[in-house]
Amino acid sequence: MTIILEADHLTKIYGSERAVNEVTFALGEGTSTALIGPNGAGKTTTLSMLGGLLEPTTGTISLNGEKRADVRKHIGFLPQYPQFFSWLTALEFTEMAAKLSGMDARSAKLEAQKTLEFVGLGDALRKKTGTFSGGMKQRLGLAQAIVHKPKLLLLDEPVSALDPVGRREIMNLLKSLQQDMTILYSTHILNDAEEMTDQLLFLRKGQLVEQGSIGDVRAKYDQPRYRVEFGRAEDAIIYSERAPWNVQVEGACGTIHLAQGFPTMADVLKSLAESGLDVRKAERQTANLEEIFMKVAGQA
Amino acid sequence: MRELVVLFQKEWRENTRNFKILWVPLVFIFFGLSEPLTSYYLPQILDAVGNMPEGTTFPMPEFTPAQVIMATMGQYQFIGMLVLVLAFMGTISRERKNGTGTLIYVRPISYLNYFLSKWKVVGMIALMSVWLGLLTSWYYTGLLFGKVEASDFFAFAGTYSVWILFVVTIVLAMSAWLPTGGAAGLSLLLILIVQIVDSLLGTYWTISPWKISTYATQWLTGSPDSGDFWWSIAITILAIIALMIFGVWMSKRNASKTKV
Amino acid sequence: MEALQGLSWGIIAPIFIIQLILVIVALIDLTKIHQTNGPKWVWALVIIFINIVGPIAYFIAGRKQA
Repeated sequence: MTIILEADHLTKIYGSERAVNEVTFALGEGTSTALIGPNGAGKTTTLSMLGGLLEPTTGTISLNGEKRADVRKHIGFLPQYPQFFSWLTALEFTEMAAKLSGMDARSAKLEAQKTLEFVGLGDALRKKTGTFSGGMKQRLGLAQAIVHKPKLLLLDEPVSALDPVGRREIMNLLKSLQQDMTILYSTHILNDAEEMTDQLLFLRKGQLVEQGSIGDVRAKYDQPRYRVEFGRAEDAIIYSERAPWNVQVEGACGTIHLAQGFPTMADVLKSLAESGLDVRKAERQTANLEEIFMKVAGQA
Repeated sequence: MRELVVLFQKEWRENTRNFKILWVPLVFIFFGLSEPLTSYYLPQILDAVGNMPEGTTFPMPEFTPAQVIMATMGQYQFIGMLVLVLAFMGTISRERKNGTGTLIYVRPISYLNYFLSKWKVVGMIALMSVWLGLLTSWYYTGLLFGKVEASDFFAFAGTYSVWILFVVTIVLAMSAWLPTGGAAGLSLLLILIVQIVDSLLGTYWTISPWKISTYATQWLTGSPDSGDFWWSIAITILAIIALMIFGVWMSKRNASKTKV
Repeated sequence: MEALQGLSWGIIAPIFIIQLILVIVALIDLTKIHQTNGPKWVWALVIIFINIVGPIAYFIAGRKQA
């Protein structure tokens, strides 16, 4: 896999505060990467540096192996709350954006129109952006970020300000862009990250605390367990006293943590059958991203 | 070059759609009209508003045509400057404040073109306004008070244009450097207050951008001292270039302060 | 007001025309604009009743620009 972007010990210091501290990662061509972390973790600052808006205090960004290149030539950027000149129409703005990224007048106009239709603003081409709703602004923001067909798309919380329907639609648009572009997007909504991610970058207090493919990260933080539901709370207690393994009881449920493949599901079922208790449900659970997130975010 | 054209077009659209292209010139034309008119009708106006005892006569000053045009410029030097500063103080700073600049700054633009596109459009509007106003004043002065030679008038208006460009460059450079409020304050300080200081203490020196307007008026009655005049023009042009370089540098440095 | 009869209205007319254009343009803009700083009706009154300064004040301070 070719590396398209490399951040090497990226650091941004404001006064005495390290907003981003020694962050190192690489983006492979054609991959999608989610930058996740709690609010104030440094996600926007990191994206701003990659987008050429902010100069890193130390560290370098290389694009296609070239250090200190003007990254702005190869990226599309969508800020969290994109602001538009209220007196321009959607088409005028997108056209201007395309031209400023080096497209000639003819193809700028053509692509602007096509892109606006693609994001679902086909009916609002000639409407002034000042009249746009939040959802329309987000779509226009996406349109201006992709109109010039950049290699790398940087998106800051692309869907978090949207309602569930709008979020779904934008996620689908982004998924359809995955084939053509390398995408790096920040989010604190983990379902979105789970849906469209080759690589996860966890930021916490300016530091990259975890990274890797979603499978790797899950394997590392996952603590598989069995969860058994009984008909009555007493049964859960009785089972916890009799079972050959440690059972944590919570109401009518018991949780059995696995240690190195033991016990197996068969062992658990067998013990339950032999106990003669009123068992309602037994299942194997793996950690979802939310739990991993909480674990990573909560690390000391 | 193409990039400059695109940015210029954006600025032009902005200033037509917010009507600055219309109302700023109208304000200058208004004062170009009202100054000769009020000077001419001053006796009647005083008569109409004052409760003068019957038969009171005032020794009315007789205005020369040159004095009327100078008075128009006097209005521009205060009200006109105020209008220019207030109309254009946010040209760059507002784009950072409200975040509209962000989507421009993440494109591969050069900040030289960014600043230049704004300087050109604002400079054009300011010069157009001042010229339309002064031409109106010249015409009315000719009608009501007497002739001012075309060569004298054009030397005057041409010289005054250098001052106007200096003012425009100050406003844009300050807007690139500071938030809108600070840009307005410092621009007014540099344009109005320094002007007063220069006229109070300025007998000690003769070469200064703040003396350009005085030298401009001297064309109406004769001609300014050639050495002082040309040195002041040269210094002012150098100051304009220096302010532009500063403005470009500040636009770039402050791009990171845009709201994201 | 007899004293003002000596005025030549043809010469003075442009000054009123300019004020009128400013008022009309400001009012047109006010009706079309999305948002103003402060209530629109206040600006309408300012534009109509304050000579010359009203429309200018609106253009400088009234428009919410983005």
